[in-house]
Amino acid sequence: MYADLLDALPHVLGIYNFVALVIGVIAGIVVGAMPGLSATMAISVLVPFTFGLEPLVALGLMAGIYNGAMYGGAIPAVLLRIPGTPAAVATTFDGYPMAQKGEGGFALQVAVVSSAIGGIASAFALMLLAPPLSKVTLLFGPSEVFWVAVFGLASIIFLLGGNPIKGLISACFGVFVSVVGADPISGADRYTFDQLELLDGVSIVILLVGLYALPPVIDLLEVPLKTDQVTDNKLGTEPIWRTLPRMFRFWKTWIRSSLFGIWIGILPGAGGSMAAFMSYNEARRASQTPDTWGNGEPEGVAASETANNADTASALIPALTLGIPGTAVAAVMLGGLLIHGLQPGPMLFRESPTIVFGFMWQFLFGAILLILLGGSLATNSFAKLLNLPRPLLGSVIIVLMLIGVYSINGRMFDVYLMLGFGAIGYVMDKLKFPLPPVVLGLILGSYAEENLRLALRIGRGDWTILFANTTSLVLVALTVAVIFGPSVKRRFFAKRDDEETAKK
Amino acid sequence: MSKSHSPRLLRPETLTALGTIVVAAAFLFPTASLKPISALLPGAMLIGMALLSVLLLISDQRKAGSGEEAQSMTSAPKRVFGAFLLIVSYALSTDFIGFYVSTAVAIPLVAYVFGYRSLPGLALATVIVVGAIYLIFDFGMAQTFPSGRLWQS
Repeated sequence: MYADLLDALPHVLGIYNFVALVIGVIAGIVVGAMPGLSATMAISVLVPFTFGLEPLVALGLMAGIYNGAMYGGAIPAVLLRIPGTPAAVATTFDGYPMAQKGEGGFALQVAVVSSAIGGIASAFALMLLAPPLSKVTLLFGPSEVFWVAVFGLASIIFLLGGNPIKGLISACFGVFVSVVGADPISGADRYTFDQLELLDGVSIVILLVGLYALPPVIDLLEVPLKTDQVTDNKLGTEPIWRTLPRMFRFWKTWIRSSLFGIWIGILPGAGGSMAAFMSYNEARRASQTPDTWGNGEPEGVAASETANNADTASALIPALTLGIPGTAVAAVMLGGLLIHGLQPGPMLFRESPTIVFGFMWQFLFGAILLILLGGSLATNSFAKLLNLPRPLLGSVIIVLMLIGVYSINGRMFDVYLMLGFGAIGYVMDKLKFPLPPVVLGLILGSYAEENLRLALRIGRGDWTILFANTTSLVLVALTVAVIFGPSVKRRFFAKRDDEETAKK
Repeated sequence: MSKSHSPRLLRPETLTALGTIVVAAAFLFPTASLKPISALLPGAMLIGMALLSVLLLISDQRKAGSGEEAQSMTSAPKRVFGAFLLIVSYALSTDFIGFYVSTAVAIPLVAYVFGYRSLPGLALATVIVVGAIYLIFDFGMAQTFPSGRLWQS
């Protein structure tokens, strides 16, 4: 089962793959360090530029960016109390007080080492758990695949939190966009309105750039964030090899937080910020000096950063094996796989083992590279990135978005389409409509439709074929549990709270 | 009852729900001309979007009825519209005038309008970005960019 994993290793060690990974990690740290920019946005903007690259090189860039950005978010969180990414919110609790005490450099070093440890643990989890899960999913037929798609959509809508009506509207929109173009079975045009550009459907890249890159750019221009200038004396950095021994006492936190991050990464809909919060709270509860937490306790930074990096590769376990992403970044990465002709799901492991297992190695190497690239010298340089003017950054990203989308097919129609999705994405973002269900709807919509129609053909039009075997029934039960579970749980806890209040 | 009805209907969520219902209903017309099996999924999604938007509309109007503040779309509407306008203008000028000229103008213009006023910094950034794009994409990857429809005709 794991032989393919070892076979993929020599491919990853090629010079181009390695360079791509290094560039990805650096770019990820830079993007993560910029408040308002996220790994999701960076990968969305990057995906079109990877068209001409070898799939492994492209995936290496993405893996590097993902790993780098999750650590990069800690830089402004520590130095300015502004989390660079949502997952770095918990890092501000102790990171910023450390910077106030002149220990900003040590806080960033704790962050980088903890991020690397979380990333390494996550990569091992991906390597160990994904192959056996893919073996199981290979047994799925069309009706099971259809239910997996429905389960994936339901998970991301109902477990993501927020308003389920908005989640459902987002998913319906994504699925609807997925059917635009020629019908894969009958060949009939659907919603193309005689536009030849739409015959092949809407490219996932156009949707990704529109939804995930345009709204943050508008935000960058909307609110000109004034930040304190970051100077060397705010960092107080020592060489990382000197500070390492001071960190060894966090080993229990590293293990505990890695497990939290991995588990939360696997759960569809949950993300790095939830992992970081849960891990921080648990580490504080287990601490012998909980009173020091919140006043500059480095273990708090370690707990938060380990967990938010431990959910990176593990979020790809359901994404690669079932096509269900655990986080928004994983959803965008699925888009990246698709544009290289790699359909996430059980067949991916059989058809492209070198690429899929190579991707896992890249996550591991990306996490290790974090220590080397995000070490003391680099941390000083990256911290100064916070002084870059945001309007200039916004204007450069706009140009990159246009180039990326135009380059897909060499036509301006795609750019206009992207701007349309961007406007929709901005409204959705502001009104708190979740965006991952749109992406997942686009990825899974046509896939679900194809398998539904295939299943119905096999059953000669009999709908009961969808419920004809145990696996399908289990998947239906899981879907029902995901839909109704959160509201049942809420009611149960509300009732228990009421009873406790009544007793008092 | 001091609040008038028009602000209630102008709440962003209400407007979004109404817009979604209208757009979903409009898309149902071309759906009707498709074969039943081809129309199954898109039809279900459009009807789903319309029905869910009705629920969203009701929920938002109930919130309005109970005096709950509407969800704010932006703190600086002029800046948001300005940003959208500049981005759309940049795309249009790329299409009609050409990529390099539009980019050389758009980078400093957007940055200047939105608050970065250092002229040497703007000039340097424009030269670096446009130069890097030329070297990487045009020269290195033979990627062609729009030369402008106006000049073609």
